[in-house]
Amino acid sequence: MTDSTAPTFVGNLTPRKRFWATNRGTVIGCSVLIVVAIIIPFTASASMMNVAVFAMIFALPAIGLSLLMGLAGQVSLGQAAFFGIGAYTHAILLTKFDFSGPVAAIAGVLAAMFVALLVGLPLMRLRGHYLALATLGLGFIVMITAREWDFTGRTTGIFGIGRPVVFGIPIDNNGLFFWFVTPFVVLGLIVALNLTHSRAGRALSAVNDSELAAESLGVSTYALRLKVLVLSAGFAGLGGVFYAYQVAIVSPQIAGFNVSVEFLLMVVIGGLGSVWGALAGAFLIEFLGEGMSELIPALIPGATGEVQLLGYGIVLVLVILLLPGGLVQATSALWRWILAKLPPRAVHTLTGDNTKTAINTVVAALPRVSAPLAPGEPILHISGLTMRYGGVVALNSVDLTVPAGTILGLIGPNGAGKTTCFNIISGALAPTSGTVKFLGRTISGRKPHVAASHGLTRTFQNLQIFSSTDVVGNVYMGRYRQGKAGVLRGMLGLQAHEQRANRDVAHDILQSMNLTDVAHEEAGALPFGRQRMMEVCRALAAEPALLLLDEPMAGLSGAERDVLAELLRRLRDAGLTILLVEHDVAQVMSLADHVAVLDDGVLIAHGEPQNVRNDPAVIAAYLGTDVDEADAELTELEGH
Amino acid sequence: MVVDFLQLTVAGLSQGSVYALLAVGLIAVYTVRHIVNIAQGEFAMLAGIGATWLTAAGMPLIVAILVAIFSVILVAIAMERLIIARVKNLTTLFSMIVTLSVSILLQAIMLLVWGPEARGLPRFPGENLLIGGVSIRSQELWMLGALVVVGGGIMLFYEKTRWGKALRACAEQPIAARIVGISPMMASIMAFAIAGFVGAVAGVVSSPIALSLWSGGLLLGLKGFVAAILGGFSSFRAAIVGALLLGVIEAYVAGYVASGLRDGVAFLILILVLTFRTQGLVLKPTAVRV
Amino acid sequence: MRLLAPVAIATALVLAGCSTSNLGGSSDAGPSGDSGPIKIGAVLDITGVGASLGVPEQNTLQMLADQLKAEGGINGRDVELIIIDDQSTEDGAAKATAKLIESENVDLIIGASRTGPSLAMRPLAEAAEIPLISVAANAAIVDGAKWVFKTTQNDVTVLESILNDAEKKGYSKLALVRDATGFGEGIADYITELGADRGITLVTTEAFEPSATDFTPQMTNIRSSDADAVIIWGINPAAGLAQKAYVQLGVNKPVYQSHGIANQAFFDAAGPSADGVIAAMGRLLVTEQLDADNPQRPVIEKFQADYTAAFGEAPSTFGGHAFDAWHIAVNALEKVGTDANALRDELEQTEFVGISGVYKMTPDNHSGLTADALILAEATGGSWTLLKD
Repeated sequence: MTDSTAPTFVGNLTPRKRFWATNRGTVIGCSVLIVVAIIIPFTASASMMNVAVFAMIFALPAIGLSLLMGLAGQVSLGQAAFFGIGAYTHAILLTKFDFSGPVAAIAGVLAAMFVALLVGLPLMRLRGHYLALATLGLGFIVMITAREWDFTGRTTGIFGIGRPVVFGIPIDNNGLFFWFVTPFVVLGLIVALNLTHSRAGRALSAVNDSELAAESLGVSTYALRLKVLVLSAGFAGLGGVFYAYQVAIVSPQIAGFNVSVEFLLMVVIGGLGSVWGALAGAFLIEFLGEGMSELIPALIPGATGEVQLLGYGIVLVLVILLLPGGLVQATSALWRWILAKLPPRAVHTLTGDNTKTAINTVVAALPRVSAPLAPGEPILHISGLTMRYGGVVALNSVDLTVPAGTILGLIGPNGAGKTTCFNIISGALAPTSGTVKFLGRTISGRKPHVAASHGLTRTFQNLQIFSSTDVVGNVYMGRYRQGKAGVLRGMLGLQAHEQRANRDVAHDILQSMNLTDVAHEEAGALPFGRQRMMEVCRALAAEPALLLLDEPMAGLSGAERDVLAELLRRLRDAGLTILLVEHDVAQVMSLADHVAVLDDGVLIAHGEPQNVRNDPAVIAAYLGTDVDEADAELTELEGH
Repeated sequence: MVVDFLQLTVAGLSQGSVYALLAVGLIAVYTVRHIVNIAQGEFAMLAGIGATWLTAAGMPLIVAILVAIFSVILVAIAMERLIIARVKNLTTLFSMIVTLSVSILLQAIMLLVWGPEARGLPRFPGENLLIGGVSIRSQELWMLGALVVVGGGIMLFYEKTRWGKALRACAEQPIAARIVGISPMMASIMAFAIAGFVGAVAGVVSSPIALSLWSGGLLLGLKGFVAAILGGFSSFRAAIVGALLLGVIEAYVAGYVASGLRDGVAFLILILVLTFRTQGLVLKPTAVRV
Repeated sequence: MRLLAPVAIATALVLAGCSTSNLGGSSDAGPSGDSGPIKIGAVLDITGVGASLGVPEQNTLQMLADQLKAEGGINGRDVELIIIDDQSTEDGAAKATAKLIESENVDLIIGASRTGPSLAMRPLAEAAEIPLISVAANAAIVDGAKWVFKTTQNDVTVLESILNDAEKKGYSKLALVRDATGFGEGIADYITELGADRGITLVTTEAFEPSATDFTPQMTNIRSSDADAVIIWGINPAAGLAQKAYVQLGVNKPVYQSHGIANQAFFDAAGPSADGVIAAMGRLLVTEQLDADNPQRPVIEKFQADYTAAFGEAPSTFGGHAFDAWHIAVNALEKVGTDANALRDELEQTEFVGISGVYKMTPDNHSGLTADALILAEATGGSWTLLKD
């Protein structure tokens, strides 16, 4: 999650003030942009206007790509494909079917989004290099299809596109065209910025930090990413519509790789993940390209052709090596430098002892949990669970039922399959055979967010914190499944109320866990024990019915363990079902209502702690001795 | 009919061997660094253009070729040392952007130094054959031969020699490899040097037929990717088979369907493979995390 | 600081925008009025697949502009030549044209080198009502146009020339291997049309990208067809390489090529495979074999001398197309000045002895060349031998 996505704490302000506080950046930025856009056509030279118009047009696909790359974390080398689809659809409907401008334009945008949906369904499962190459391939396929198809005009393309007429005024010069495009860019910016700050935007940010954790909180990564892909294609398609109007011809190169590369450049140079950066990047790249076309032939006589590539290549390498955050990084560094030169303002010191590292031993108000079943009724049902990796059997036909409102401890020697079992229950892994039923629903084999959406959350053995936001941001993310605003509401910015409510709950939870003093610290800066507590807070923020804790005591001091144990007991009493994997056998024995023991993938004991502790099979598993021998030893021990 | 089919097959195989060499280079880098080297095609073009320039300046063919290959190896190593090694945070995204930027830079340099026209090396020594109506150019035999010798050689290097295995170890477990005494830096340099070598050979051996152009590396590199993906980005054998298949299918589509669709074949295969079978032609997939 | 980036951007934009004002009002006729320099714009394929056409065209125009400058311009007014490279793409040509019209306020435009980009420029010239003289081949460029003219011989005329020869030699079946861009589109239809009157049918058509280097699939299909002769229709380097592949794959049929190959690059690409090719072209490459009293001869010879002196190599026919465009334009400008309508009317009455032929334009014929502009020549040992005049 980026700094810009962390919600501002607005507390009890009036709706108007609240709106201003959360949207201040967007409003000011857009107003400035509008003012500048009005002035530019009067002050710029003709050749600059030429470049500025193209910059504005390209800003749209750049913003879309920035959403895809920054928010959804996907590399796309084929943004030009959607750009071209929008342009071609628009051009064909205008010239061959005599559609009116607005209708053809909308059709262009929708066509791009539709293709994105079709293509995204299979491709959004891919990651990293594979997705990038697939989008690259898509760009070429669109280009080659356009080139070989009579309907799209083959090599020559569609030409003779008339200039648009808006309210009776023909848009036939660069100044007017600039004014024509700008409102759409401003709208696009607002939509993109809203999305970034929305529930969906935060969820995607969280996925970028830790997909595992985000999924476990109910975020459906695939669905969200697909929606962002479709949205970004819509931006590109709209850009294509304007391009068709401006150049008056649409030819196959419009979907070419170099166009996709240009969009990529704009986003990277502007600053990955920053919507404003994309806009700045668009302008920068266009002016850079134009400047290069003039400069390089002057420096190197006889240089012809796409000389601006040299500039692009050099700038890109320099940006990656020296300034990976792009323009945005540069401007914020500049701003900090300027601030540092100014006379220092009064520094607020944190009240309270912020060197405290131990957890306060008093737990105040308990976070809310959900208790859909009466205590004792089976909430989790595992039957015949088997996991095979090739020839290795990690879990062998495990049967287990967990009653609601109890704590079940899952123990066993190393390699027994405890974490595998956990991963299957939470959905991170699909079993070879067998089922897991939660609240009567089968959740085995389905993605983690499915179980999470019904009230199952977990913590992780290797902490999966969201390192790019602060503590309260992490806990806030836990409220995800309690929210309802999707991508559409996010874009329109209609979720202030929901955000505020969730924000309050997050603060309450932190307070009850005595983490308020570090609420605004970077999550990654906390000491280990407090990070652990934060993860638990995050899981609890989802108001779960079943909480899976994977070695929560590991790395905690003795006192910290006691506090956590106390917390768990109180949560259990409030109706939460807890499933606990732990190595600290003493803690488990004292904490758990029931204990299950796994050894080599087989459930060898299940019952009350007392009985399990004395079970010879359990002892044999831990000590590595024969069952009979252990039995004999035990009898001997008991005899004394 | 049969003659035509055989003719197309021959053309496809020779073209496919170029793709195969590029795929070998791509996999060589990927196995060590988990980077997809988008500049691989530019290595080929650079060698081709450089060699033509040298022969045009009077150097004997064989000397020009060797100088060109050697120079491209140096360029590849320079790319690794000066740029790749200096990127602080080499995520998937950044690694793609970095290699992409080097690709753009190389293209720009080739354009500015040698101009926009395509050039070709003179044919390598040998007679063109005409067997049963099927014309086989001597250069095509050179291309296939280059695949067998160079491609096969690299494959054996990675699989059979100590150095090769050390390189692969670096990719799997960089820290463990270091403990055992393998330097990741050396491994990285070697991987890029190999990529440069293989790319240069591909460029030089295909130049007489396909010509070398400043912008030609892109498409060539992309087809190399497709072949590499058919090899699951891990198996040289599968990639080579995939590349030859790709070349042949392209020739058939160009001959029997429409020549303009030829380039589309590669990308269609790409998307199909990525959608349905990400390990490509590899039969026993190791866990490929996509 | 979410606020920061937008402020910085805004500042940068304002700074970038500060210069002489120009809202870019729509251009009115005769932007340069009666005084001030006359501006001629040129959009050429200097890089990309059309480079073998665009580079000689650029050289020629540059040379002629310098000559004109030395002679004092047109009626005492300076003539400014602005050349923009369209990178052999349609939208490059469109952008360049828009720039010339809106930013540079040119009086006339020459371009583009090839059919596709020229077709892209046409609607812009028509809308802005500025004369455009194309140096590309396809007759569709000027078909029904008010403001567009061309100097290169029409492809239909070239085909007529070739088919006449084919008919004479008794070929009844032809095969076509053509460039896939605008230059080659429609050729198949023309052949079928023209062939109908001559008892010739088109049996196979293959296409190739102008950037193609491998022609095995196409030539394999041609080889197994039952055509009597083959027409290869493209520009260099593709056409030359196609010729090479043609011979290498053993297609032993007589072959014709278009006027698109009329430069040295053809021999460079095809090598000895070029021998025996018959092509229709203008008279530039066979000057010495022309009759001494041919009206084009002195014009061509002077051009050859000037070009060789300036650039150290003989000119190609594409330079000739540009030469014709320039002189036609300059002649008209000298006569009537820069008023667009007067200029157009004057162009429509062009009569000019040029490199590509003897022009006689009319309001209905913006091309002005007939089959007489073409000769057939056979390639032998790296140069062209005139077959008929």
